[in-house]
Amino acid sequence: MSSIHARGVRKSFGDLEVLRGVDLDVNPGEVLCIVGPSGSGKSTLLRCINLLITPDEGEIYLDNIALTDPHIRPEWVRQQIGMVFQQFNLFTHLSAKKNVMLALRHVKHLDRKKAEATAKAQLGRVGLADKLNAYPAQLSGGQQQRVAIARALAMDPKVILFDEPTSALDPESIQDVLAVMGRLGQEGMTMAVVTHEMGFAKEVADRVIFFDGGRVIEEGSPDEIFERAGHERTQSFMKKILR
Amino acid sequence: MVAVVFGLLFIIELGNLGVYRLSYALSILKPEEQGFWTTLEVVAVILPTGFGLGFLIGWARTTRFVILRGLGSVYVDFFRSMPPIALIFFFYLIGGIELTRAHTNPYLVTTVTLWLGVAALALHTAAYQAEIVRAGILSVPSGQTEAADAVGISRLRTMFVVTLPQAFRLSLPALGNEFSSSIKDTSLLYAIGWTELSGVSYGLASTSFNTGYLYASLIIWLEAAFFYFIVTYIVTRTVRAVEDVYKVPGLEVARQ
Ligand SMILES: Nc1ncnc2c1ncn2[C@@H]1O[C@H](COP(=O)(O)OP(=O)(O)OP(=O)(O)O)[C@@H](O)[C@H]1O
Ligand SMILES: [Mg+2]
Repeated sequence: MSSIHARGVRKSFGDLEVLRGVDLDVNPGEVLCIVGPSGSGKSTLLRCINLLITPDEGEIYLDNIALTDPHIRPEWVRQQIGMVFQQFNLFTHLSAKKNVMLALRHVKHLDRKKAEATAKAQLGRVGLADKLNAYPAQLSGGQQQRVAIARALAMDPKVILFDEPTSALDPESIQDVLAVMGRLGQEGMTMAVVTHEMGFAKEVADRVIFFDGGRVIEEGSPDEIFERAGHERTQSFMKKILR
Repeated sequence: MVAVVFGLLFIIELGNLGVYRLSYALSILKPEEQGFWTTLEVVAVILPTGFGLGFLIGWARTTRFVILRGLGSVYVDFFRSMPPIALIFFFYLIGGIELTRAHTNPYLVTTVTLWLGVAALALHTAAYQAEIVRAGILSVPSGQTEAADAVGISRLRTMFVVTLPQAFRLSLPALGNEFSSSIKDTSLLYAIGWTELSGVSYGLASTSFNTGYLYASLIIWLEAAFFYFIVTYIVTRTVRAVEDVYKVPGLEVARQ
């Protein structure tokens, strides 16, 4: 089981300072939920962790490997750290199976048979064994998101980052996706999840972080953050989303 | 299909109106004597070179390399702003002047300058196709490349396995349009002496016209139109067939 450690991560877009020195740990096998208002920099933080964005300052470690070391290839980092997006971002021109196979073929260089077997196994794992040949446009949002999770899992990542994976879904699909994520957490996958799903956070998260203005404001157990937040900003945010 | 029926009805109707005798018209429908094969030859050169070049330039305009983007945009601006007939003459005349000055064998000068006219058309359509390809590439949502990035696929490979297949699918209808208009632009080549469909038809028709056979002139032009129609039809049908290959279930676009 792997861990992520961020130290003093800063990132600006032009004059806009989005991350203002973030320290964050995702311990081995831990499910960490990140909550915080829109525009606070949560997505930017996740994108920095798998180097979709290069941080301006600070270090990010996967176990004890400094990912921010210029000698590390970003492609390698992204194989180790899976990512699931709010908008699923499935490859629209490929079937569910081919979506999962693409990186297996082009990054892991598996032969077609092996890639196909892995794809089938991973799609089975997220409950989509009967949708192998369906195209994204033929799937519901919840099914698409589960394909996206299978696509990330197929690379055998050490950590998976989820960026509001259920915010674009209807209530029924939300439960399907959360169930898959909950199972992953129980199996010991190290996960960082940006979400506003209280139920999920309370049930699955080991720790919750309240993030605002490009900084970690407060962290603690789900109960501590949702019910007994110490900071006034956390309290007022919780009031808003619990209403 | 509708177009074929309309075209045939139009021609038959003219026959019924007594504009010409259909049996006679059909008897003189001779592709080999009306420059049809020359037009095909020219089209067979212009379409692939125009597409190949247009594709590369369109792609260049979407890269991160400022110099490539700049060159691409100068190219497009230049060739799109020129009427094709002027381009044909520029190429033909500049080529002719330079080659003659270099004391090239006159026969060679004729051949080369004729083909320079063809090159002008290929470069012209390439500019339009570059814009189509560029728009296609840019219309692939950034989430697609981001997802490819996130699973560790390299930038270049992402281009080939994610962006281009999607961009191509989106661009095909517009490319089909541009193909058919560049086929018809080959008729301008008669101006520099090509004996393709329009050149030959013009010669034949003006002879009839000057000797008072107006109907015969009309027949000749109708037949020329019919031959253009055939080429355009084959090409646009082929593009449709390719569209079907790239069709994505659940994302079919309505087509008339
Ligand atoms: N590539 C970019 N270029 C410029 N500004 C950006 C870029 N990405 C994000 N931003 C800005 O950075 C700020 C933080 O964005 P980010 O997406 O990280 O917030 P977020 O916490 O994920 O918000 P949300 O809950 O709405 O998803 C926003 O003001 C956003 O406009
Ligand atoms: Mg976000």
